[in-house]
Amino acid sequence: MPIIAKRCGIKFDPPSVILIYEDEHTNKLRKRVIPVRSFSQFSDCSRAAERLKHHSRHGHYLDSVSLEQLVRLHTVLRDHLRGLSVEESLREQRHSHTHDDDLNKLSDEELNRRKAEMDVLFELNRRHKDDPDFVYDLEVEFPENSVRETCSWDHSDEEF
Amino acid sequence: MAGDMKRIPELEQEKYDSDEQVKIICLGDSAVGKSKLMERFLMDGYRPQQLSTYALTLYKYSTTINGKSVLVDFWDTAGQERFQSMHPSYYHKAHACIMVFDVQRKVTYKNLSNWYKELREYRPEIPCLVVANKIDADMRVTQKSFNFAKKQGLPFYFVSAADGTNVVKVFKDAINMALSYKKNSSDFMDVVMRELENFDLEGKEESADEDEEEGRAD
Repeated sequence: MPIIAKRCGIKFDPPSVILIYEDEHTNKLRKRVIPVRSFSQFSDCSRAAERLKHHSRHGHYLDSVSLEQLVRLHTVLRDHLRGLSVEESLREQRHSHTHDDDLNKLSDEELNRRKAEMDVLFELNRRHKDDPDFVYDLEVEFPENSVRETCSWDHSDEEF
Repeated sequence: MAGDMKRIPELEQEKYDSDEQVKIICLGDSAVGKSKLMERFLMDGYRPQQLSTYALTLYKYSTTINGKSVLVDFWDTAGQERFQSMHPSYYHKAHACIMVFDVQRKVTYKNLSNWYKELREYRPEIPCLVVANKIDADMRVTQKSFNFAKKQGLPFYFVSAADGTNVVKVFKDAINMALSYKKNSSDFMDVVMRELENFDLEGKEESADEDEEEGRAD
């Protein structure tokens, strides 16, 4: 059965990977809940992700989900078991690789991988139009005042 | 300069000369969230036109301003370096520019000066808005000042494509600025460019389009 993965996320209780996918035959959107078993705060996230990707029953549903994304999701789960919030986990993951890569130089594949990483936070902070407090034209003023501190990015070497 | 202009055969750019059409380009590094901002403004369900060969996504939008209907083409461009040769066609006939960086990545802020310099080579006077995206990742950045925009005398916006902060405002302002630029343009270059385009005898490309233009110029 051809599967087009749409979104992939994680649930803490019970620990499971949630996949929203489209069944190409029926064009229907479906949700699959894949339990994450024998996983603890001491587990190796890369191995657990690989195990899931090659799982006899669930594996082929995850064909179009990158291993990197599964590793990240497992890391969020592991950090949760260690008592970290999702935000803290993502912050740590973000800091784990250098922030100053010039993404303009990457291949499509590599760039898409980095975009997928950024999408985790995007989805987390996203306001959907079905949310009760959704405002389409949300305007927020950030008043400029004298106490505003100059961003350190402006201090360094080269001038504009 | 007009002779170097890359043509995109699928896209007729002459239409941008008519009063009710404006072209707004979205510039900035890869993965700063340009497409996400477009999608948030137009909301989901919108199907843009993908021109992957040209690393370009085209979003068409129509609106009414002061009782007049206006068609806006948003050109969402790719930041990747290998598409550098496409840039002249992005700038061609643009009426405004939305320039985006990612508050999480310093390199995207530093690169603004390169984008801006290139923009000004082609479009010396069009309005340009500077957008600091992804403020939802760390709201503390809104306490800081980013000097690039101030230094260049450009309007500056803190936005988040994720939670929607100021996204619609940026696009509305951009449309208004594009329209007023178009109406009041005294830009000498615009006039010169128009003349040059009608006088494009030394076009380097040999497409059918070019032949037609040469015929007309004769």
